[in-house]
Amino acid sequence: MKNREYLSFDVGEDEAIIDAVEAKGHLLPIGCRYGGCITCAAKLLEGKVRQPNGTALNKRQSSAGYILLCVARPKTDCVLEVGVESHDKLYVNPFSVSGGYVPPLKGNKK
Amino acid sequence: METTEAECCTGPGYASPQEAIKAPKEKVVYTICIYTGTGIERPDYLATIDVDPDSPTYSQVIARTEMPTVGDELHHMGWNACSSCHDDSEMSRKYLIIPGVRTTNFYIVDTATDPRNPTLYKTIDGEEIKKKTNLSAPHTVHCLGSDIIVSMLGDANGNAPGGFLHLNKDFEIMGRWEKDITGMKFNYDFWYQPRHNMMVSTEWGAPNTFMPGFDLEDVGKGKYGQQIHFWDFKNKSIERTVDLGEEGLIPLEVRFHHNPDSTHGFVGATLSSNVFHWYKDDAGELQIEKVIDVDAIDVETFPVPMPGLITDILVSMDDKYLYFSNWLHGDLRQYDISDPSNPKLTGQVWIGGLLGKAPVVNGQAIAGAPQMIQLSLDGKRLYVTTSLFSTWDNQFYPDMKQAGGVMLIVDCDNENGGMTINKDFLVDFGKEPNGPARAHETRYPGGDCSSDIWV
Ligand code: FES
Repeated sequence: MKNREYLSFDVGEDEAIIDAVEAKGHLLPIGCRYGGCITCAAKLLEGKVRQPNGTALNKRQSSAGYILLCVARPKTDCVLEVGVESHDKLYVNPFSVSGGYVPPLKGNKK
Repeated sequence: METTEAECCTGPGYASPQEAIKAPKEKVVYTICIYTGTGIERPDYLATIDVDPDSPTYSQVIARTEMPTVGDELHHMGWNACSSCHDDSEMSRKYLIIPGVRTTNFYIVDTATDPRNPTLYKTIDGEEIKKKTNLSAPHTVHCLGSDIIVSMLGDANGNAPGGFLHLNKDFEIMGRWEKDITGMKFNYDFWYQPRHNMMVSTEWGAPNTFMPGFDLEDVGKGKYGQQIHFWDFKNKSIERTVDLGEEGLIPLEVRFHHNPDSTHGFVGATLSSNVFHWYKDDAGELQIEKVIDVDAIDVETFPVPMPGLITDILVSMDDKYLYFSNWLHGDLRQYDISDPSNPKLTGQVWIGGLLGKAPVVNGQAIAGAPQMIQLSLDGKRLYVTTSLFSTWDNQFYPDMKQAGGVMLIVDCDNENGGMTINKDFLVDFGKEPNGPARAHETRYPGGDCSSDIWV
């Protein structure tokens, strides 16, 4: 974990990353534990993970490199940026980005 | 039989809204404080705030009741008993039921033994609720007589439409309350009016949709609601579903008149930022009409017009004023609804917000905007907090996770209309002992303007 002084954990291929982290007594953001709430998102800097389809991450968030530690299982060695500090690209104000769906909102006055 | 106050006041609450208005002034209030999504790995907690201007600790947090788990995201809360049990001397308003929307854990907090320092009485494990009822993501808590009903926004895996959880008065899981939810795509808030056998419920989205944050693509794909449901309350089934259409996107908070004989009520369509009014006409037919329309605003550099985002609405105990917050624009509004079909704007104040109209209030930089509101029973003091939901906070007000939330009082003129921000009151949750916390829903020990229902 890059932003935790490169603390490292042995994670089994069939083990959720968060379980290995918590087993060693470390705390990271956690909520639903089923991939539905995004609280546990972390940025995958290097490596590959396996995680179920249909988790809470949308396309934009996945392509920005985010994974969910409660459901992600490592396929290779991984380097991660964790915690809320890694969430800079996770959240955007949807009214500030173009190219997507525009809801029918009336007014448009200054 | 007519009963006088001395004879009847054995159960909790008040005999009528008129009696509630005459209740003594609130001395403390309870507010949800949230660490979820702030980077502070601590449990969320219930803050007790001194609101008695004559007390030396006025405008301060005097107690913090910490929950046992990290990451619940405490959200809304309700009482074990309200004025609907006023005639039942066996019942008392003793416990706040505080669910965690992300974990489905329920915390039962005793506020009666020492109202200035509530304590955790019981925990209901979220996993047990999911297993027994296939429901998750609790939202609104209402008591109905001695039963407790909670709107649940998803199934155990976070998919729509969810349903309603039934707890008994000893907080045991009884199962699902509703008999039939045909037509309901999503769930959110609900309110009922027993004398008319009416209940109204609204639609947000599936937990798997809203938990990660707000994405307009999801609105385009129909993953957010635009219907409200009128229930046959006794039969626990939906009688009529109304599609509010393009002007009614994401109907959230729903409020009946407090007067138990009235069929009138209001719902805020959050994304469209419109308020709808419903009532039954003389022929008993349900009528529903849009009565308030907040224009979206073109913000420089934003390609999509930004709505006000009406995230909370409230009706005063005398049914004369409607209040609501525009969480993105940053204003709070007061409307005279003496004629419910023609609300008149009578007051407005600005607190924070993305339009930059009031970045500093009472000397405090505001990272956020008016969101949850709670009004004193006498209709004069509106308590305001600034957080909506941790992931949505992080999208729209990313600074809130370092700055924390605030609570302010807005003084309301309930005779001639008008609002002013109270200069002497500010709770800065940025200075909490364990670090900055978000602040969400507020309730008063004796019941408030969104807790009590009269049967
Ligand atoms: S804890 Fe909810 S998505 Fe991981």
